[in-house]
Amino acid sequence: MSVGADEIRAARATPRVARRRRRRVRGSTIANLVFLTMCAAFVSIPLYVVVVTSFKTMEQITLGQIFTLPTTWTLAPWWRAWAEVCAGMTCEGVRNGFFTSLKILFPSLFLSIGLSCVTGYALAHWNVRWANHFLFVLFLCAFVPFQIIMIPLVVLVASLGIYGTIWAMALVHAILAMPLLTLIFRNAYKDIPPEIINAAIMDSGSFWAIFFRVVLPMSGNIMIVVLILMITTVWNDLLVGLTFGGIGSQPMTVILANTVISQFGPAEYNVDMAAALLTAIPPLVVYFALGRFFVQGITAGAIKG
Amino acid sequence: LIPALAVTAVAFFGAIAWTIVVSFTESRRFPDFTIAADRWTRNYQRLFGDPNWIISLQNVLILAIGSALAILFGFVLAAMIEREQRAEGFFRTVFLYPLAVSLIVTGLVWRWMFNPGLGIENFLHSLGWESANFNWLADRRTAMYGIILASIWHGLGFYMALMLAGLKSINTEIWSAARLDGVSFWRLYVVVIIPMMKFTFLTCAILLSLGVVKTYDIVLAMTGGGPGTSTWTPAYFVINAYSTRGNIGYASAAAVIMLLLTAAIFLPLVLLTAWRSRRSEAQVT
Repeated sequence: MSVGADEIRAARATPRVARRRRRRVRGSTIANLVFLTMCAAFVSIPLYVVVVTSFKTMEQITLGQIFTLPTTWTLAPWWRAWAEVCAGMTCEGVRNGFFTSLKILFPSLFLSIGLSCVTGYALAHWNVRWANHFLFVLFLCAFVPFQIIMIPLVVLVASLGIYGTIWAMALVHAILAMPLLTLIFRNAYKDIPPEIINAAIMDSGSFWAIFFRVVLPMSGNIMIVVLILMITTVWNDLLVGLTFGGIGSQPMTVILANTVISQFGPAEYNVDMAAALLTAIPPLVVYFALGRFFVQGITAGAIKG
Repeated sequence: LIPALAVTAVAFFGAIAWTIVVSFTESRRFPDFTIAADRWTRNYQRLFGDPNWIISLQNVLILAIGSALAILFGFVLAAMIEREQRAEGFFRTVFLYPLAVSLIVTGLVWRWMFNPGLGIENFLHSLGWESANFNWLADRRTAMYGIILASIWHGLGFYMALMLAGLKSINTEIWSAARLDGVSFWRLYVVVIIPMMKFTFLTCAILLSLGVVKTYDIVLAMTGGGPGTSTWTPAYFVINAYSTRGNIGYASAAAVIMLLLTAAIFLPLVLLTAWRSRRSEAQVT
């Protein structure tokens, strides 16, 4: 074991090219890979089970073989979940929730990113008094649990007269995301050399001109990271939708919860699982398509925040 | 900049102050700002006399200890992936995907896995392990473990990613130096690597505990707080007091305690970062 480990460490220290040449697989390596594969299996099993279940007929599910493949593949559960299943009083499936979630997503993305990107830029490159103190306060705010400010926000939003609408949820998402996003943007813009900004100021650039002509075109990468972060959090959020969504404007997660938890009549597990998958697919697509940025996004959200 | 300031002032500070004030009042369905001079701690007294609240606090502790396993496993996995370098991308993708799935979906999926007649339990029975009991969610004593398992599943990849980032930042010379000194494999990890990564561990621990305090979605999806009230968490308690009981004052009192919990977890981090930046400044000069 220890010899094998030494070898691997030696391989690590030398450049990768040297490592490639040595192709003998060692016992510890196999053990490692086996363990990793087992863990990967643990992580993947739920996904597999859900996918399989959603294509089964109820007759097969009641036989109780959770791991077997469907004997007859059926799309009926998916259709039922999309358009027919009952959530509380209404029986229109999760499709309304899907569209509501989309409608919430865009304004909240626009609001939060617009606000925090300008603020981050201002904090990074303009001499703002108390900038560091403000950053520290934002840092604190990024960690306040939502439940603590939830009730006053309900009162606030209600007094604006938009309670129970899509705008209420978009606004709340924007507020909640603002501290963290500002920090991320500020840290990203700090890496732009001040010489560039100074040169731009020399060219008689105003605050907004520099922002739109210089800073914004340079922030493509961080934009993607932040977009992914926001899309997944907004889409996956339950609590904001639950507290701020009115009848007919509930996001998908809330509809899903209502569908599955408060169910009348016999449980249709295949439909439940199809509905769950429908809810999970958009963020998963984002994840698999842009995995690299996703990792960056969550670590940025965690460490830099 | 002004809008951001306004948002911070109103939505965060204003709201926190509002909650604290209301927690001292006797507000019920609608906020009421008069504080009865002699009975202003009434909500708190009631709160700590409420068995459900005590259960919630206990659950948060159990959940924190249980979910700490996610950090441990995250480190082990990260170390293995980092050492191997084969198929790193593949494993990273697999371990991380649960993070893209919302907690409510996670909860539903695991609820289905725990289904006594049709889920894993049935599968184990059909394999011939008749005494296997996997119906955790229906039992008051084990329901929390079910939730812990699901939250580990959800969070594992996240901690793994953080640990991987931490491991990658360790200087490669350490490895060759250790090899020259003939340090054994286990000692290298225990004595050198883990102390070097203590900040990463601390970050993970703090993020974990903050997440634990906020636990709500997954409880709702898996057990709905049940059986009985055995899987309530403070977050669940606050929302329940607000939406089901319609008692704003009571909910606010519980929320204030949550804030205190968060602050207790968070303060060390703040002090630590301050100390760290001062130290790095000292190194520069």
